[in-house]
Amino acid sequence: MPAITYLEAIRQGLWEEMERDPAVFCLGEDIGIYGGAFKVTDGFIHHFGPERVMDTPIAESAIVGAAFGAALTGMRPVVEFQFIDFIGCAFNQITNTLAKSHYRWGAPAPVVLRGPSGGNVHGGPFHSQNPEMYFAHTPGIKVVAPATAYDAKGLIKSAVRDNNPVLFLEHKYLYRRIKEELPAEEFTVPLGKARVARAGRDLSIVTYAAMVHVALEAAETLAKEGIDVEVVDLRTLVPLDREAIAETVRKTNKAIVLHEDTKTGGLAGEITAVIHEECFDALDGPVVRITALDTPVPFSPPLEEFFLPEVGDVVREARKLKAY
Amino acid sequence: MKKSRDKDGGRRSITPPAARETSNAHIIHDLRLERPRFRVVEAARDGQVRYEVRGDLNSPVPPIRESKYLKKEQCLEIYRWMLLNRRMEQALENLYKQGQVVGGVYFGLGQEACSCASAYALKKDDWLAPMIRNQGSLLVRGFSARDIMMQYMAKAGSPTKGRDASSHFGDIVERNVCAPISMLGDSIPVMAGVAMGARMQGRNIACMTYIGDGGQSTGVFHEGLNFAAVRKLGLVLIVENNLWAYSTPAEMQSAVEDLAVRALGYGVPGVIVDGTDACQVYDAAHEACERARRGEGPTLIEAKMMRMKGHAIHDAAGYVPKEVFAFWQKRDPIARLEKYLLEKKWITAEENKALIEGVEKELEADREAAVASPMPEPETAAADVYCEEGCHEIKLKYGAVKAKVAQKEDSKPKATDAALHFK
Repeated sequence: MPAITYLEAIRQGLWEEMERDPAVFCLGEDIGIYGGAFKVTDGFIHHFGPERVMDTPIAESAIVGAAFGAALTGMRPVVEFQFIDFIGCAFNQITNTLAKSHYRWGAPAPVVLRGPSGGNVHGGPFHSQNPEMYFAHTPGIKVVAPATAYDAKGLIKSAVRDNNPVLFLEHKYLYRRIKEELPAEEFTVPLGKARVARAGRDLSIVTYAAMVHVALEAAETLAKEGIDVEVVDLRTLVPLDREAIAETVRKTNKAIVLHEDTKTGGLAGEITAVIHEECFDALDGPVVRITALDTPVPFSPPLEEFFLPEVGDVVREARKLKAY
Repeated sequence: MKKSRDKDGGRRSITPPAARETSNAHIIHDLRLERPRFRVVEAARDGQVRYEVRGDLNSPVPPIRESKYLKKEQCLEIYRWMLLNRRMEQALENLYKQGQVVGGVYFGLGQEACSCASAYALKKDDWLAPMIRNQGSLLVRGFSARDIMMQYMAKAGSPTKGRDASSHFGDIVERNVCAPISMLGDSIPVMAGVAMGARMQGRNIACMTYIGDGGQSTGVFHEGLNFAAVRKLGLVLIVENNLWAYSTPAEMQSAVEDLAVRALGYGVPGVIVDGTDACQVYDAAHEACERARRGEGPTLIEAKMMRMKGHAIHDAAGYVPKEVFAFWQKRDPIARLEKYLLEKKWITAEENKALIEGVEKELEADREAAVASPMPEPETAAADVYCEEGCHEIKLKYGAVKAKVAQKEDSKPKATDAALHFK
């Protein structure tokens, strides 16, 4: 099997789910004949037809609302946001209509909300954001953020099959940068399960999405200095795999939490609290947060590089923590 | 398609007007037998700014317009639903005064014809998404007064198990009712989506929801109606122009006098009805539902009427000029329909009395059952946030997806022109 990109893995996963279940359909802006701004649904309209690969007006509230309505009739809609930044336009429908429907009146909302997130591509303040915490904070929504092609494919398939609204964050920096050989036979990856991306003994880095690769690179550098780092890739942010977080901290006794999202109110604070609740006694040092700055995502490359966490930041903080 | 030569050497093709006429050929139908001519203005007097009314408030009450569709039995059923709607709200007001209600109570007083006669036009497979004042629509759709009372009393046995209030409940299995949220307009694209889901399963159905003169100001109203119009989805959108959005008059929500004219901007038909005339409301709703079931797309119906109480029970509506209340009091939808039925001899005074007693008896039984039912167990607050394994089976409502499943073998991606500058 040839190696395929992270983007192609998502595309294959969606394709297979649409083949498997005729209730699955896609809607969004420019996803039909054009195949999507990033080409995730390239060729879908020719194979599945315009009724299941639906180009919509530029109206995110209507797109999400209509997806929910279709789900009430038993369909399984997959909404594409052209850039995940535009999810703000549908905030009310997502947090008030979709997220609360099962709790309030027993109506499941099996709607996948997917789109390209994240920075490091010089997209500026409106094409680079990481909106996960607006939604992680809203009970009723699941949030998924894969870091590898394998997980991207396995998780999009699980997201489509889930009976809840699932926000599926595709890191656009990874779309065509990483490649992987995937199994020929069908597979899924369960929601809510983290994975150990690299085993180590000295300290743990808990992270997700593109920062997994930053953590792994830092771990290689640190290994040369004799610091053996364990990297935990959360894969799903809601529900959070508390056991996996506790397990790695019990093993290494030291934790760095790393993400590309901004610091205040970011998931790192929540993970830090989970570590305290689950395994405070296991800690041999303070939990360290490495995140983006508390600013909008700046446009100019030197500004964005300063804004984002990078390998050097992780190496520096890991050395300090190891020595603590 | 004909090509016409222009100054650029004939490269531009012109679409003849005939090809587009389906989307722009609509006019506004006005079924009313009177057109009230007054408006509310802000006026400063003695150092205070108040709403005052300008215009003619002395016109006589028009007759009920004969329905093109309703037979005697149907008129009587609608009349009974309207009675039940009003008397239930009176019972709710009493329950509130007795301290049985958690939070406020919202009324549809003066709007019973709009709620009941519109929902009456729906068939079993159609859908409804009510707004806060459409408690009558919920009754017509098959919920009991007890369900609504228990919602207001936050009881364990309420349709939302005490998790939400008022008309905020639904049923996706039997009654095809979608629970609204408090934010205005969001049900519009949702109902468009229900119609879309049904169509993918080979069915065109009518999906009815409501919006107010205030709610029509929201962006999602535009997004939802436009979405439905573009895809010709069977949305039946009723604009309940009840003249007041909380304390703000319709004149300050919109620069158009007839909210139905907005339909033209979406390429859909618009209809104006007297919202206190049950027969007009039914006829317009029926025709819109039939159009939806033919797969021809949405209809915008404006029902003109008056919210005869405050925004909710706490609000005495002191900001409303008294003569506006007086004008609409003479156009009480239930009194008008009652008079019509009596004059047509479709009901006798004795039968009417018996019907009202029957409604009261039903309400009394529901009220007693609701009051006696328990509050929810506190721990149940933590359940059901997510739909877990085995909790719901997601089933296609209308059988099977009829949309094409596959067309072509080739699944390989082509060379792309993806947003490559993002790298």
